[in-house]
Amino acid sequence: MSRYIVKRILQSLLTVVIVVIAVFLLLRLMPTSGYFTRDDYINMTEEMRSAYLRNLGITDPAVIQLQRFFAGVFRGDLGRSITVYPKLPISTILAEKVPYSLWFGLASMFISVTLGFGLGILMARFKDRWPDHLGTAYVVAVRAIPSLIYLFLIQIWVTGIMRWPMVFYEDRPVTWILPVVSLSLTGIAWYGIWLRRFMVDEENRDYIKFARSKGLSQKYIMRHHVLRNAVVPLVQYLPVQLLLTIAGSLIIESIYSIPGMGGLLVYAIKQQDNNLVQVLVLIYAVLGVAGVFVGDLLMAFVDPRIRLAEKKKKKEALRV
Amino acid sequence: MTETREKILRVEDVVIRFNLRGKELTAVRSASLDLYKGETLAIVGESGSGKSVFTKSFLGMLDKNGRVASGNILFEGENLAEFTREEQWLKIRGRKIAMIFQDPMTALNPLKTIGEQIREVITLHRGMNRQEAREEALAMLGKVGIGDAAQRYGQYPHEFSGGMRQRVVIAIAAACRPDILICDEPTTALDVTIQAQILENLKELQREMGMSIIFITHDLGVVANVADRVAVMYAGEIVEYGRTPEVFYDPRHPYSWALLASLPQLGEKGEDLYTIHGTPPNLFKEIKGDAFAPRNPRALKIDFEEAPPWFAVSDTHFAKTWLLHESAPEVEAPKIIQRLKEKSLKGLDYGS
Repeated sequence: MSRYIVKRILQSLLTVVIVVIAVFLLLRLMPTSGYFTRDDYINMTEEMRSAYLRNLGITDPAVIQLQRFFAGVFRGDLGRSITVYPKLPISTILAEKVPYSLWFGLASMFISVTLGFGLGILMARFKDRWPDHLGTAYVVAVRAIPSLIYLFLIQIWVTGIMRWPMVFYEDRPVTWILPVVSLSLTGIAWYGIWLRRFMVDEENRDYIKFARSKGLSQKYIMRHHVLRNAVVPLVQYLPVQLLLTIAGSLIIESIYSIPGMGGLLVYAIKQQDNNLVQVLVLIYAVLGVAGVFVGDLLMAFVDPRIRLAEKKKKKEALRV
Repeated sequence: MTETREKILRVEDVVIRFNLRGKELTAVRSASLDLYKGETLAIVGESGSGKSVFTKSFLGMLDKNGRVASGNILFEGENLAEFTREEQWLKIRGRKIAMIFQDPMTALNPLKTIGEQIREVITLHRGMNRQEAREEALAMLGKVGIGDAAQRYGQYPHEFSGGMRQRVVIAIAAACRPDILICDEPTTALDVTIQAQILENLKELQREMGMSIIFITHDLGVVANVADRVAVMYAGEIVEYGRTPEVFYDPRHPYSWALLASLPQLGEKGEDLYTIHGTPPNLFKEIKGDAFAPRNPRALKIDFEEAPPWFAVSDTHFAKTWLLHESAPEVEAPKIIQRLKEKSLKGLDYGS
């Protein structure tokens, strides 16, 4: 087991490094004009511009720049933003923005999982009856209608009816409600439809038939066999989703004016803030890779058929 | 001999219908059987003859679109055919009548240990606490021939071979000491050596616990090995039943003849293997006369017109064929069947 974990960690690190290098090199292909704020670029002479670029270290060979970047990361220095928040250390930007996205993300994930699982269980339990149809209608609606439409409508109608402020105010908890609810809508649908599907799959298995013939009640079978087994394939995705809550949501954070991470990457790319892009890509890559890794470990934990260590497999083969 | 024993289950004229895409399918057409305490009754017949469906109705395990349309299933003073609610069945299933299925590879929950899966029925039906249930489960595992039960208890199904899994399934089904154990082709998916061990094991359990077994199979070798009595089923009805030697060595229904004649073991070297021509009747349609008549080269005219009643061959042996009517013409059984009779006189031991 521990051998497997070490191997996976090394593989994950390699993946992250490759992603970062690829993005790093791609960014060097961009025109250098992007390193200036608009006004600076216009006001500077050609010489001033090249001096500025040299000062930034952009003119050095890519290998050296890369080395500098990684060295900085290891020291805990993520560099400074260039154009989005000129001169501001990126760690300061993150420290300010991440908490908003994280808290909203965690709250909505909690709601998504609890309500989504509830929905899935209800739909499976009453398959082909009205709760199932109603749930399916909800899932289809959330997935098929472009989210901007219903998210706007929710914002306008609900704030109108409840006389709440349209946008997010940190000191007014009532304005936290709608962003969290909006963030959860798709999550609820996702967990609901997949849990339903896995539960229905399990219900039709032979061992459920045998469990029924043993005299176990429908309720007991649902709880201890069907649900227990249906959750397993979903477990793998939880860590990724949990970690990526940090990334925030572009749409919801912008319509409620939440100063979170959502859209920061898009904005940084648009403004050609190479340093910021670089750091954000690094962070998302690390979170994504770590999430998948933890998900795999969790799977092995909840599903006894999955064995992570190759060594153990050999032992098993010998025993047979 | 059988008549003096206690009847534990009486099934009378059961008709089972399924609703399939708006059409009615009659899977079991007026089938009856008696089961005596402690005996093993084999039900044989080809795939689709309704064997499984028939016995599933004793447990209320028909699929949602199926129902017992008429007839009685009398067990311990109750008519199971009239059960409508799940709670009524929960008193029967597992604790009075248990069932094991064909494929041991899929009959166990892959994510629960063997121990948990035995223990849950024991705590449920016998009201034991965790520790007692564990002891009982370990004892049960030992009884079905699983060595090192204490270690095996904590293992998962994928750590067991097919034969071992079927032993576990048997242990679970027998753990609640049911009066009747229905075995739906329990050895079909296993190889022959394992088959023999499992059958031996079942027999031992039966001796020890005194339960009755209904054994569904299309393997006649297995039947000869385990059954006290045999019922032959065709197109949703039982066409012949009797003590095993009676049905094996002196079959009377043309379908029983055909079934036995198709056994490769009974053929003579050099002869072509006997096959039954045609296909079973369409169960969506009403069947007129003897259901087997269209496939029976020796069918009489009346076979196509009127369903035969039961005729007694002996006190314990009955067949539903016009051939046994007093005014029926002499119809010779196939050669293989005649040879069987001769062999039986020589005392052939028919084992698998």
